[in-house]
Amino acid sequence: MFSPDLISEARIGCGMEIASKKRLLETLAELLAKDHPRIQAETVFERLLERERLGSTGLGHGIALPHARLKDVTQVLGAFVQTSKGVDYDAADGEPVDLAFALLVPEEANEEHLQLLAHLASLFSKAGIRSRLREAASAADLLEVLKSD
Amino acid sequence: MELTNQIILIGAAVLFVSVLASVVTSRLGAPLLLVFLVIGMLLGVDGPGGIAFHDVQLAHLLGSLALALILFDGGLVTPYKDFRVGLRPALGLATIGVGITAGITGLFAAWWLGFGWLEGLLLGAIVGSTDAAAVFSLLRSQGLELKQRVGATLEIESGSNDPMAVFLTIVLIELLLTSDGNAGLVILQAFLRQMGLGALIGIAGGFGLVWLINRLEMSPGLYPLAAMAGGLSLFGITAVLDGSGFLAIYLAGLVIGNRPLQQRVEIKRFHDGIARLAQIGMFLMLGLLVAPSELLPVAGDALLIAAVLILVARPAAVWLCLLPFRFPWREQLFVGWVGLRGAVPIILALFPLLAGFDAAQTYFNIIFFVVLISLLIQGWTLTWLARVLQLEVPPTTHLVQRVELDIPGQRELELVGYRLAENAPIITERHTEPHLPSDARLVALVRDKHLMESLSPLDPRPGDYLYLIADPKHLPELDRLFVPEPVSEHLSELAFFGEFVLNGDAKLGGLCAVYGIELPELEPELTLDALIRRGLYAHPVVGDRVQLGSIELVVRDVQDDIVTQVGLKLPHTTEPTSS
Repeated sequence: MFSPDLISEARIGCGMEIASKKRLLETLAELLAKDHPRIQAETVFERLLERERLGSTGLGHGIALPHARLKDVTQVLGAFVQTSKGVDYDAADGEPVDLAFALLVPEEANEEHLQLLAHLASLFSKAGIRSRLREAASAADLLEVLKSD
Repeated sequence: MELTNQIILIGAAVLFVSVLASVVTSRLGAPLLLVFLVIGMLLGVDGPGGIAFHDVQLAHLLGSLALALILFDGGLVTPYKDFRVGLRPALGLATIGVGITAGITGLFAAWWLGFGWLEGLLLGAIVGSTDAAAVFSLLRSQGLELKQRVGATLEIESGSNDPMAVFLTIVLIELLLTSDGNAGLVILQAFLRQMGLGALIGIAGGFGLVWLINRLEMSPGLYPLAAMAGGLSLFGITAVLDGSGFLAIYLAGLVIGNRPLQQRVEIKRFHDGIARLAQIGMFLMLGLLVAPSELLPVAGDALLIAAVLILVARPAAVWLCLLPFRFPWREQLFVGWVGLRGAVPIILALFPLLAGFDAAQTYFNIIFFVVLISLLIQGWTLTWLARVLQLEVPPTTHLVQRVELDIPGQRELELVGYRLAENAPIITERHTEPHLPSDARLVALVRDKHLMESLSPLDPRPGDYLYLIADPKHLPELDRLFVPEPVSEHLSELAFFGEFVLNGDAKLGGLCAVYGIELPELEPELTLDALIRRGLYAHPVVGDRVQLGSIELVVRDVQDDIVTQVGLKLPHTTEPTSS
């Protein structure tokens, strides 16, 4: 399901010290914008925040899946952060979030992108995957777990 | 003395068997009431029991009493929020709906059996109402959790349409006996008197009883009795004044169940038991009363009438009465099918017997047969149909133990207990200190029969018993911590409500922008709450769905009649894989 370009080690943060939802989204936005000169981290952050206003993207059980559309991106981009301590994410179950996968899709998003989002949500609904993501000690470990499915 | 002892022995044994039968039937999915009826028939004249019971007067007395108690309990346990959702559709069904059902069935019966049209209508009126005992017991058993609108409509209908059927039956009998004067005027007058008095005395009396019970100082065991005696007194007063006692006691129950009340837990629990006893007793007795050998000659006629009732009259009445509310077709179909007949028609069939009609015994036998068919076919297929039509919602709570705390004059609090399984989320997801809802308190942890000294830091292990004090509205959150998600079930939250949770006040424009949905007509400023309401003239309930391009919105929570949480369900190419 994952295209090889969706996520790379460079866009994964492991054991990061993050204290708030805002900081978490900013960090994800920075990771997403890192290798792409045409993308502004601030714009990405704005878009992610706009989506959060519709309702928290926390999936429950401490994992969040923020996502947005952006016209400057040409292909789907993902970033992942594992935090050392859970942050209050306003999730439906009230659990603090310590795992977050951000997804950025092109403006001309289609059904396929929605399906990718659904696939990620169903992947993170598995308790086994969540605990392996929590046990992972490096960006490489995290990437391996994410790609294992 | 010997006889007394034998009667006690037989009575107790029959009751015991009936109670135990409920364990077996809930596994088979068979309607429990049918089982009681059959046990009664087996004990009766034509069965091995051989008990001859023909006392119509006594049967009428006990039947009415049992029905009143069942309605009282039904009112007590109906929460006000169900009332808000189901009242208007149910009222239409309970009045006009009963009239239409009775009319179609009655005219068919008159034509087929060659009766006069008034006599035919009498038969129609007798089978016109759905049965509260049957509906309450079937909808609340078998672990079925229906969409609130469907469940509430059916329950309130069944609680409030008995008075209408009783009224039609009495009026038609009077018309048949006197057969003079202006029929229309008689009916209208009687209708206003029955319903008006019933509603007035029921509601006023209910408030009066709450006031009285809250001022009494007596031993706890007496409160439920005071409530029961009060309810039955209201039934009696109303009926003596020619009002509808059944309507009065149902409404009184509703008022009492929804007002702050001391000893409410005791009162509700007592009436739950009494209502069950009434159900068992009533159906056993009605089974005893009938002579199954007399049913066979009318079987053909009764089957036809039942078919017209179930397949034509009821669906037509439901369709017409629900027209203004735009129920989704699945819900209409279900409400149309679940027109369960039960004890009420059988008790009403005693009226012509008491009035001394010639054809009364034929009426009784036909009606008894119709009820048997209805219980058998509709009762047995109800759970299956709810599943097929996707009217089930995920169960809100899976608690092990729940004790309502009766703190006088305080907010509602409950003591809830969980036994932690190996795969409970709090054990498998121990990444952070568990996050309890703000006003839930952990009060005890029992491990290996020992009460743990300290709860902090919390170190839960499989097999522990955890006890918390919490507001009942936080139970779903607690469940998410302590109860494992059911594996690969069609009613898991993910499968039912979708991946994300949106706020009810989120704007449609923002949503469409994020997911690339193009809608030519809808205003971007519309909130999701308003969008969901728009397609529906009824109150929104959990499980209502709206398709939006390729995504689906599912109502997830409704507070004070406003949609607060909406699930977002993304399209899937394949079935979502489950863990």
